[in-house]
Order: sequence, then structure tokens, then C-alpha cells
Amino acid sequence: MAEHQKLVILATHGTEDPERATIPFVMGTAALASDVDVVIGLQGNGVWLGRKLEAEHVFAPGFPPLAKLMTDFLELGGKLLICSPCIQSRQLSGEDDLVDGVEIVAAARFVAEVTSATSSLTY
Amino acid sequence: MTITAVDINTVVADKVIDARGTACPGPLLEAKKGMATVALGGVVEIWSTDPVTKTDIAAWSGKVGHEFLGAVPADGYDRVFVIKRK
Repeated sequence: MAEHQKLVILATHGTEDPERATIPFVMGTAALASDVDVVIGLQGNGVWLGRKLEAEHVFAPGFPPLAKLMTDFLELGGKLLICSPCIQSRQLSGEDDLVDGVEIVAAARFVAEVTSATSSLTY
Repeated sequence: MTITAVDINTVVADKVIDARGTACPGPLLEAKKGMATVALGGVVEIWSTDPVTKTDIAAWSGKVGHEFLGAVPADGYDRVFVIKRK
């Protein structure tokens, strides 16, 4: 039986770098399509991607629109986590500001996800 | 039996997916959806204008356990063939 695989991707860039904001979701959706469990963690400026409608404004040349990729990611069963202190420091007040399906977590949860993964990537 | 490019031209797919004009990972995601619509042993044919789709679908097929048959060029796009094996 094949080893169960889990990929954790930490996304640390938002609208200021559309390509690095988009690639985590390209990799995440491709991994889900390949029967790999995927967690994407939004940290630093990456938390802007978790704000409602923010992804609608992110377009990286050569890639599908970020909003479509994020929708595909969640529909395929991907898990989306967002860093609690990072959203507080940016005055994203809580779940009402965030996209549906995102879970607010802190450092220990990120550590648990990364240490239980078979692979991790950081963008 | 080895399937050649000539043989692939004779394959009749059970499902044809037109992913032309979509960028990575669009064709892959469409292939994944298409696989769910055919029976084991069925053939899915993906049309793509992205030249790396054929190598990407080959890698994906190997990873998830499908059989990559190959690809043939068409008029400005590639026809990529995969047999559902799981």
C-alpha cells in the first residue's frame, strides 16, 4: 500500500507579489489532484490572500486567476490555515473578514501540521 | 504490445476534455475531473495548448496509477491520452 502523503505549503506573499502568491495554490491543487493531502498556511503578507475578495485582484501572468485556484483548492479538499497574530497585526478582525473555509490558528498548529507532513514548501 | 504514435491516432476516447487555452494546472485539474466520469480501462483524451501538459499528465499518471498512452500533435494543440487504471 502506498505511503500516505501530506504536503504543507507556507504562503508568505500577498498582492505585492502576484506570482509568489499564486504558485502555492498551483502546487496545492496539483498535489490534491495527485491524491496528496494538502495544507496551505497563510503567514506574514500571505494572510492578505485570506481576506474576502482579495484574491479577485491577483493575477500572475501565465497562471490561472488566483481566485479560481483558491476555489479549486477548497473544492478538492485542501485545508487553508491562517496565522492569528499575522491577521491581528494587519487589523483583519476575524472570521467575518476572511474567506469561507479558512481556519484561524497559531504557531503550535502550524508546527503540528509541518511535522506531520511528508513534504513542505515555503513561498 | 507497444503503442506507437500511429496507434494513438486510432484510439477512440471515452471522454474528451477540451482544456485548450487554460494554464497550468488547469489541464491537470480537468483531467482529474474527467477520470471520474469513465469506467476502469476507459480512455480520457485531453486537448491542451500548453506544450508541457503532455509531460505533466505523464508524471501525474505515474504518480496516481493511471496509464499514460502518449500524445499526438493536432492543429495548434496536443491530444493527450490516458487510460484509467484505478
